[in-house]
Amino acid sequence: MEQRYKHFFNRAAFGMYPQTAKASRDEGIPNLLKAASGQKDIQVLAGELENIYPAKIKGDREKNKERKANIKASWILLNTGWINQMNEPSLVVREKMTLFWHDHFACRTKNPYLAQQQNNTIRQHALGSFSDLLAAVSKDPAMLQFLNNQQNRKDSPNENFAREVMELFTLGRGEYTEQDIKNAARAFTGWGFNQRTGQFVFRKNVHDPSTKTFRGKTGNFSGDDIISMILEDPATAKFITLKMWHCFVNPKQTVPESIHELSHSFYSSGYNISALLENILKISSERNMTGSRIKSPVELITGIRVHTTGQFKNEANVLFLQKVLGQVLFQPPNVGGWPTDEEWIDSASLALRMSLPALLLNDSETEFDAKDDGDVNSVNYLLDRNRKISFSVDWNNLSNIFMKATAKRTIETIEDYLLAKPASAANRKSIQNFAGKSTQDSEFVKKAFTGFMSLPDYQLN
Amino acid sequence: MKSRRTFLKQSALTAAGTLLVPNFLKALEIQSQDTFANGKTLVIIQLSGGNDGLNTVIPFRNDLYYKYRPLLAIPGEKVIRASDELGFHPALGKLNELYAQGYLTVINNVGYPNPDRSHFRSLDIWQSASDSDEYLSTGWIGRYLDSSCSGCHVGHHAIEIDDTLGLALKGESIKGMAMTNPGKLYKIMRRPFIRKLNSENPLDRIHDPSLHYLYKTLAETASSADYIYDRSNARVATATTYPANELAGRLKTVANMIASGIETKVYYVSFSGFDTHARQAGQHERQLSTYADSVHAFVTDLIKCNRFNDVLIMTFSEFGRRVAQNASGGTDHGTANNLFLIGKNMKRPGFLNETPDLHKLDSGDLLYTVDFRSVYATLLRQWLGADETKILPGSFQQLDFI
Repeated sequence: MEQRYKHFFNRAAFGMYPQTAKASRDEGIPNLLKAASGQKDIQVLAGELENIYPAKIKGDREKNKERKANIKASWILLNTGWINQMNEPSLVVREKMTLFWHDHFACRTKNPYLAQQQNNTIRQHALGSFSDLLAAVSKDPAMLQFLNNQQNRKDSPNENFAREVMELFTLGRGEYTEQDIKNAARAFTGWGFNQRTGQFVFRKNVHDPSTKTFRGKTGNFSGDDIISMILEDPATAKFITLKMWHCFVNPKQTVPESIHELSHSFYSSGYNISALLENILKISSERNMTGSRIKSPVELITGIRVHTTGQFKNEANVLFLQKVLGQVLFQPPNVGGWPTDEEWIDSASLALRMSLPALLLNDSETEFDAKDDGDVNSVNYLLDRNRKISFSVDWNNLSNIFMKATAKRTIETIEDYLLAKPASAANRKSIQNFAGKSTQDSEFVKKAFTGFMSLPDYQLN
Repeated sequence: MKSRRTFLKQSALTAAGTLLVPNFLKALEIQSQDTFANGKTLVIIQLSGGNDGLNTVIPFRNDLYYKYRPLLAIPGEKVIRASDELGFHPALGKLNELYAQGYLTVINNVGYPNPDRSHFRSLDIWQSASDSDEYLSTGWIGRYLDSSCSGCHVGHHAIEIDDTLGLALKGESIKGMAMTNPGKLYKIMRRPFIRKLNSENPLDRIHDPSLHYLYKTLAETASSADYIYDRSNARVATATTYPANELAGRLKTVANMIASGIETKVYYVSFSGFDTHARQAGQHERQLSTYADSVHAFVTDLIKCNRFNDVLIMTFSEFGRRVAQNASGGTDHGTANNLFLIGKNMKRPGFLNETPDLHKLDSGDLLYTVDFRSVYATLLRQWLGADETKILPGSFQQLDFI
């Protein structure tokens, strides 16, 4: 199989699909990107915010209880709605980038409607211009709430929003002063949202219109001006390029001249994300960076679904697995986002990750339990006590695709399909022996899949 | 009980043919000379959800307490009196026994500047020991492992009794281990598939750094699992009766490991159910009696096996609760809280500092007077013999309790 082709699917998507494994010709990265960049909003919560969750009514216990149950049900719909869409071949590159920005612009909200809205905003701009994405996320109600900009008023400025925008979203530490944060915060005063409609509002009466000095310039700056000035600084292009490099090329190794070149063209393209992605993937495959990063839990779960085209029959399973593996969509640990690469791996998580394929492919029960985080409002829907996994895979279909003339050929084909890099000869032999005891083709394929996916090697992409 | 050396010899024999275990054994040899060797153990109990400190250690002479909590306050005559001003919740009878023996030090008003009232964020802050506007991807115990023995395999020197590893035990280069009990991990690591992977993929032949990291983690987990299982199995079953609940079961596992002489320096146990927003009274009472009864059994067990001298137990929660009760018979997320230290030779048994000031609140919440990182700094330096300046971000005052 064309290595570049596989590498593209491992990084820009969640792995190869069985049907793409058959067609092994190299279509070229631009064509592949285009074919997988479709856009479909998550619309599990339809209607207006005020109709979905009417405001709390003091004293009306029944109504408030109903509201609470409604919110909980919405979280489940939203989470599974996204994870079920993530692996669709025509959408997958946009979904992968949405996941990337969902981590970059890490945000928590108690309101699933606002979470859905933010998710769709990010999805819309995920492959467009980073300038538009930044502008949209900066005016996103969930983000404004999370970073306390509702409390940012001219008489009592709150710097949280201004600080994180610069430190984590754009310039990075060391590229601005505390004075810049103070002045930017003043420029962002009045940026808020309407609690009833969930829409951005500029509250002029709490905005500080006086003169500000930001990064050496003095003027009567608005929040939009600050964002423009941040984007004018090439440090922002470099910061984003580095983050994309760590995700799509190599988390441990950088090549300064490539970073320089990439961020330069990112900047001069007006922050064109898909052009950057395309250039980065090119370098990634030219420099053979395959198998150099550890999948996040969502990448691992989605990857298994992509590789097997399997489906969860019990939606609670997919929530529980996110929880026990440590990455629940819409619940990043903090504004810094999720761990990366080796940070995901410890003795327990590795054992659990390696046991996951056997669990899913054999419908068994997990022996691992997720941590109870103590929050009475979050635990119930994530900690399904029935941990019997129910996952259906069409093994006959997979066996039609993967069975070759000889057992050895079949094993090699499946190995090449599932693993970023070849397994050791010893591991390959063990898996062939294990699968060789089968009496049917579909059983052979199932055992070979289970074997390769259970290797530590499968944690890498 | 087998000595460590005998165990090493035996493992080396049974592991003949694998190239992995000798690395691990070499690591164990090195450790005997480093700072881990002071023989002290720290057990951390995390009360998840935000324990209501004011209904745990009760200011029973304070009228404001009764004014703020007309329904939830514990009536003075029911409080187990401990000092002139403070007493324990009636469910804490067993904790009071430890207090009466001078084994308990309570530190009041522990917290941090700009408190965060979100569970996940405040727990993050407590586990990473960060400031409230700072995000660290490592935990304080993890960094303790990093600083004490860089480069050696010491994952099992900090063990969380759980299926998954929390932030507290994750260091930059070394991570602690998570296991609900040694037998379960041992069973997983003994699976033929995993044993085969370990024996057929010698680490010195894996050159790819990411793959090497994965196989190394697997090999070390298997080695530690073997070692801990072997050691803890050698101990004669405890004669102490523990209550039948999950916390007690986990503490029993810890006592068993401590008694068996494993070099683990830190054990981490969580106990959740403290997020009492509604109908708090009954729930909180059950939580507290479970806690007190379990810890009492744990201490009794440690005394029986002569290890209580070397063990210190710290109990904390990510925040306390609002001073005033809410409309649902519960309390909402608060800030500063009390923290318990239990040990044989406490320097200042009883109450280390002033009682909470209910006159001076910050929008309905208690003000902190002791930074929780001062407690960490003291434990690290005075109990674990570590250099806390390499572990904690900033400099924190040493307290006077050990």
